[in-house]
This record gives sequence, structure tokens and C-alpha cells, in this order.
Amino acid sequence: MIAGTNKELKLLDKASAEFARKELAPNREENDKFPFSPFFTPVLEKAYSLDFFHALLPEKLGGIGHGVTALSVILYNICREDSSLGGIIFTHTAAQEILLAADAGNLIQQITKSDAPVNECLIAFPTFNNPSEIENMAVFKKKDTGYALSGAIDYMVLGGLASHALLPARYDGTNGFSFFLIDLAAQGVSISDPIHSLGLHACPAADIRLENVEGSLVGEERQGAAYFEAMTDRMSVPAAAMSAGIMKGSFSEALEYSRGRFQGGREIINWSEVKMILADMAVKIQNSEMTISRACQAVDNTEKGWQHCSRAAAISIQEAACDLTTWGIQVLGGVGYMKDFGQEKRFRDAKHLQALLGLAPMRKLKFFKNLVKN
Amino acid sequence: MISRSEIKTYTNMSPKFDDIFCSLQSAPKLPKGMIKETKKVIAIARKFNKEVIRPHALALDLKMHENPEFLPWDFVEKANEWGFYTMWIPKIFGGKGYNMPSMSYFVEEIGSACLAMANLIGVHYLGLCSLTSTWHMRLINRLCRDVAAGEKIQTPCLISLAITEPGAGTDVEEMDLADKGNITCHAEKITDGYRINGTKIFISNGHLSTWHIVIAYSDLDKPSENSVVLAVKTGTKGFSFGRKERKMGQKGCPASELIFKDCFVPDDQICLDPQQIQGLKRSKRDTAMQMIDYVLAATRAGVGAFGTGAARGAYEVALKFASETVVAGKLLINHEWAQCMLAEMYKNIAMARLTYAETNYANGLYGSFREMQKKPMYYYYKFMPAKWLEKMFSPMMDKPMMTKLFRKKQMDGQTDDEIHRTSGWGSLAKFSGTDIGIKNCHMALEMMGQAGLRHDRGAEKILRDAKLLQIYEGTNQLNRLNLFKCLIAGDFPQAVVFDE
Repeated sequence: MIAGTNKELKLLDKASAEFARKELAPNREENDKFPFSPFFTPVLEKAYSLDFFHALLPEKLGGIGHGVTALSVILYNICREDSSLGGIIFTHTAAQEILLAADAGNLIQQITKSDAPVNECLIAFPTFNNPSEIENMAVFKKKDTGYALSGAIDYMVLGGLASHALLPARYDGTNGFSFFLIDLAAQGVSISDPIHSLGLHACPAADIRLENVEGSLVGEERQGAAYFEAMTDRMSVPAAAMSAGIMKGSFSEALEYSRGRFQGGREIINWSEVKMILADMAVKIQNSEMTISRACQAVDNTEKGWQHCSRAAAISIQEAACDLTTWGIQVLGGVGYMKDFGQEKRFRDAKHLQALLGLAPMRKLKFFKNLVKN
Repeated sequence: MISRSEIKTYTNMSPKFDDIFCSLQSAPKLPKGMIKETKKVIAIARKFNKEVIRPHALALDLKMHENPEFLPWDFVEKANEWGFYTMWIPKIFGGKGYNMPSMSYFVEEIGSACLAMANLIGVHYLGLCSLTSTWHMRLINRLCRDVAAGEKIQTPCLISLAITEPGAGTDVEEMDLADKGNITCHAEKITDGYRINGTKIFISNGHLSTWHIVIAYSDLDKPSENSVVLAVKTGTKGFSFGRKERKMGQKGCPASELIFKDCFVPDDQICLDPQQIQGLKRSKRDTAMQMIDYVLAATRAGVGAFGTGAARGAYEVALKFASETVVAGKLLINHEWAQCMLAEMYKNIAMARLTYAETNYANGLYGSFREMQKKPMYYYYKFMPAKWLEKMFSPMMDKPMMTKLFRKKQMDGQTDDEIHRTSGWGSLAKFSGTDIGIKNCHMALEMMGQAGLRHDRGAEKILRDAKLLQIYEGTNQLNRLNLFKCLIAGDFPQAVVFDE
């Protein structure tokens, strides 16, 4: 539904759905064991080669120059099967979007080399925090040759995986923050082991510590909040699409199970309470898909108030996904709680994704503030 | 103004006074000693949380992520050392004889620190309660004394309940569904005992238990009338453990598969079978349902208390975070919206606690706690030396007459209204408390954002652990239906449950 009638988008829809089905679904449980099992590097490489990481990047910077709709289609399909990869794509793209908002496309070009291994092309970014809300940033100092960063950044997504990181930092004693791009292999950078988290196990995050690490300023000093908000305006729809993908996956598995599991001598789908749960799930999915389609249209056409459409979609669909994945487990009963099925992972991932781009209640207040202001 | 007969008539109108004011009726009858005892139990639980659980809960959970085959013997031994496995065994059976409702407060406390560890203790009493519901006094005495002996020699002796089957979850808990269900665990009557064949799954504490109360069926075409309750000891020929489930949460408490292949269980380990039921006033089917209701009315209150514990754990983690974290320039705890969320969470906890407490009052008036909460009985057992009780009562328990007497009094003595009232409240406590547990977890994670996602902050584990509570001891959907059956449908003869 999100792809609509656009031929190019339909092709992307088909390709990403097929990729997810073939590459992600069969090893979902195994990949989710990370860091207690190997990382799914071959799958990541394949996804990278299919341009899933470049949907929003302009062609002149090596991207495919599609809009938010294309990224939403990709993330929706991928998160139907395994949202860890979705988290990796989202994080990298969010970092790209900040660089683009700061007119720092040249930094993207420096990182993205066609023959480099995929991890060297990725950018780590603390996707689950809005630096304007909770201060999770380094401190920078000006040097003759540039900038030096020190301090700690918690929960840097892709921290142990990517070659570079985009991070917020402030000048001691001043308000506002700036974004810097650093090389994670540089001297003075220490990276923790992967942080064990609720969901998205194969989208690893790490705490990083910096001591006089050289960094490239992104855009202008103290404009970090503006770049972050610009990124959030656009990336909220893909964030919503990720949650919608999880919802669709949860529903499909619940529906299939309900047709094959018996209770009181009948398939459980024939008990009206189960049917009601499935109906509730289906209604939520239908509404979410309609909302995302409309929000994609608004964002890509920069319609008046597109930012509100984007942010509202994320807030409501992320919340819906948390409810729906709870029901997704209930339909399966005991086995839904076990790792033999995908439902428990979807439940965790849906809640995990609700924290994307900052505290959910604060994002709601921010949405309202923007709405009233305009 | 109003006559006595009118009072009776009006208070019998729906909702019946007896159904909705259990605490009001029960409280004046309770021995005062229960208050002091309950306080002590709560203090013990808090001390245990501080000294044992909080320092180890996250590490154990992480260890189970890494190695799902690990069994938490260290913790079980510690709980045994603290005397938790005999705490709620009556003194006449060698236990410490704490009042039964205090267990709910205890598991709320432990559950607020770690639900898996609360389950490692609480599930033992699910097994014990199932055994007790058969009123087979000799076996109750024997198994309880095994548990007590295990405490003395520092070798934990736990009891599990094995009822769920691969093809039947809800069906084995509801006799209206059992005969149409896919039930396969067969107990064939042979000379001197039964031969069991079949598999049980999702058995909490399975791998850790010494005794297993197994529900099997002597006729798989009509399980509702042919329930056989057997006490099977680990190591019995033909009985083995299968896989340990890989769960999302409560990882510290194993959910086991129990496999029976031509497993012989002698007659002296049969807690209840169709032959023993003969002579009771209810049919075999109704007796089987009464037994299930009797257990679940009590244990579902316990699950409600687990849910309350989860709600509390989530609230406490969120409150700590809010009091330490600056959000948008001021402490989160000073944001009005956060204060309202915290107040809502606090209210949720209070509501959940009231619900399980009310269920315990119902059980004290009409269910499994009734006898032990009568003042003379309570004080007699409380102050009588344990050795004297053992000397006097233990030999008596071996007499078949005792089983007959207790069954007559406890099973025939419980009215249908009383069964429905306690069972309905059990379900109410279960689905209310566990839904609230999940609700508070969601709220906590929303308040904490990124910090809530991290394992080392503790909040995400509570959500993973709490989700199981909405599933086991009957899904919350089944429990809603049971509440309807027990507390609503009675006034509507045209209402049919479990038969659409």
C-alpha cells in the first residue's frame, strides 16, 4: 500500500520484500543472538549492495535520490521480518540526513567509497536520544587545526560496527550543541562491548569515550538542534514504517498460527475472541498503512504542514505497534513467548523502536508545540 | 424501613453482596497474628531482595541469554537456605506455617526485584497447592516432609505442576473444552499403579524439581471424567526431561519439557483418580473442575501479585530515573506530565494489590485458605511445638480415613457458589494484575527512552519478564471468560460459555 501505483516504488517494494523473506526470515532467531553469535555481515553487505542505505541520498552523492516514500517502503518490508537490519539502515540514513541538513554532503562522500567494506561506509549515530532533551554529548575545544572532542556518548548505535560516528558536542560553558564527525579508529576513542538491549540485538550499540579526538564540524557551530529537528521531520515517517512492518509481521504470524492451532476441537481462529483480537490487529495495520502513505505523500511533496504529518505518524504508529505485538503473542499463547516464533522478538523490537529519536512523551509535546506555533 | 427478608433479597441481587465484599466479611474473622506475621514476611522478602536478588538478577538474566542451558541452582539453594520452600507449608506437615495470603505480598516484593526468581519460589507452591487440592493426606504429608528434609540437609526439594501439553494449553484447564481438545498424556491403569505415556511442556521449575504433580488421563476420549493426578519423582524409570524452552524473559526460571515413556507410577503415589473420586457428591467431571478451580483461585491471586511486583519494579526504576535525569533543562521528576505518569503507575500498583488481596479474602472465606485462617486453628498451629505436631499428626495422616474425611469436608463442603466466587476472583486478580504489570512497564520505558532499552538499567528485563504473566495459568483471555462464567453468567441461564 505504501508504494502506491508508482512503478519504481513497486519494484523497490518487491525487491525489498523478497530480500527480507529470503535473507532475513530464515535466520531471524540466530541473528538475534548477537553478540552471543556471529554478526550477520553477509546479509548487511547484500543489503548495502542493493542500495537500501542510499534511498534518500542524492544521486550526486552516490545515492538513488528517492524520497522518504522509498525509504519507508524498504524499511517496512525489512522490519516485517527482522527490524535489526532496519535499525542499521535507519541509523545510517538519519546520520546522512543530518549531514545533508548541514550541507555537509562532502563528508558523506569522504566516507562512502564504492570498494570499501560495508562497515567502513557506515556512520554510527545515537539514534535513540534527542540531545536537546537529555544531554548525552561530548565537549569540544577549538584547536589551531580544527576541533578536539572529549567526554562520553552513551548508546551510540552502530558504535562497534561503523568506521565513523556522528555525534553531538557542546563548547564548554555555552548553550546549544554542534555535530561532529569522527573516525572511530582514531586515537583517543574507546568503544565498549555491544550493549545488551531490549530489541534490535543485531543492530548493536556501544558506549564510547573520547579523549582529545579530532573531529570535523558538521555545518555550523551550535546549529545541532536545528539539524536534528530537520532530520526528525523527515525521518519520522520511515520510523513509523518500521513499526508498521513489525505490526504486519506480527499479524501474519498470528493469523497463520490461528488457522492451524486447535482449542476445544476447533481452530482458534473460529473462536470469536481470537477473531476479535485479529480484527483489532488488522484495523490497526490498515490505519497505519493509510497514515504512512499519506504522510509519505505530504513529506515528498513538501505539502503545507508535512512535518506534522510525519511526526504524528511516528508517535501514533509506534504506540500502536506496542499494543499490537502484545496481542500477537497472546494469539500464540505460550509458544508466542518462546524464541521458536518471531512474535516475542517483534514485541521487543516494537517497544525498542518507540524510543527512536527521543523520549516518546517529549516528542508528543514537541509535535504539539510545533503545531500550535504554526 | 427494611425487613430482614428484604435485606436478604436485595443483597442477593446482582452483584451479590457475598461476591463483592469479601474483605469486609473476612477481615473481622481473621486472627490478628496474621498482621504481624505478614509484616515479618515482607521484611524478610525485602532483606532477601537487598542481599541476594538485586546483586544477581541482571547477571543471571544475561548469563541465560548467553547459555540457555544454565540452571540457577545457586539461587535455589540460597532460597532453600532462607527457608522459603517450607515457609507456607503448614506446621503439621513439617513447614513453618506462615499464613497463606502473606505469600502474595512476599511474591510481590520478590517480583518487584526479579520475576524469574519470584517464580522459582512461587511455582513450588503451585505444585504444592495442586497436591493439596487432591486432599490425599498421606501424600501431602510425605511430600511436604520431603521438602522440609531437603531444607535441613541443604538439598532443595521442589515440587512442580505438570499440566500443559503440546497440543493443549487452555483445554487442560477448562473441563468444558477438555473432551474436544487434543489431550494426549495417557495414564493407563495396570496392576498396582498407572503407566504414563505422553509429554508435558512449559513446566516451570521442571528441571529443578524433585517431585512433579502430573495430571494425566485414563481415557483420552473423555479426559474430563478421567483425570489422574500422580506424584512422580525425578529419576523414576520412564520419566525424563526434554528441552528447556528458550523464553523471552523470566530466563532464570526454566520452563521444561517432561517426557513419560511407559513410566510406571505405583498406587501409593496416585493423589487422585476416578476411583478415588467415587463417593464424593460431585460427578468426576465436576470434581476435576473443582480441583482445578481450587488451585487456580489461590495461585492466580499469586500471579496477580507477580504482576503487581512487575508494576512496582517498573515504577521504581522509572521513578529513580526521573529523579536523577535532567530532561530539557530540568529534572524529569519536575515535569508535570511525568508526575502524572508516575501517579498513574502508583495508582495501578495499588489497584492490582487491592485485587489480589480481595481474592485472598475470598479464598479465606470460601476457598483453600479457609481452614487455616480460623482463629482456633491458626493459633493452635502457631504456638504448638512442631515436634509435638509431627508426633501427633504424622501417623494419623497415613490413615486412609483422614483422606476420606478431608475430602468430604473440603470438597463436598464447598458449595458451587463458593467455587465460582473464588475462581472468578482468582481470574480477576490474574488478568488485572498482569495487565497492569505490562502497562507500567510500557510507561516506564516511555519515560526512560534510550536508558530504558539497556539491559544494565533493569527496565527492559521487567517488560520481558512480565509478558509471560499474561500467558501462564491461563491466558488473560481465558481468565476473562472464566470470570464471565463464574461471576456473571450465573444470573443468565441462557448464557453459554466455551461453546460458541
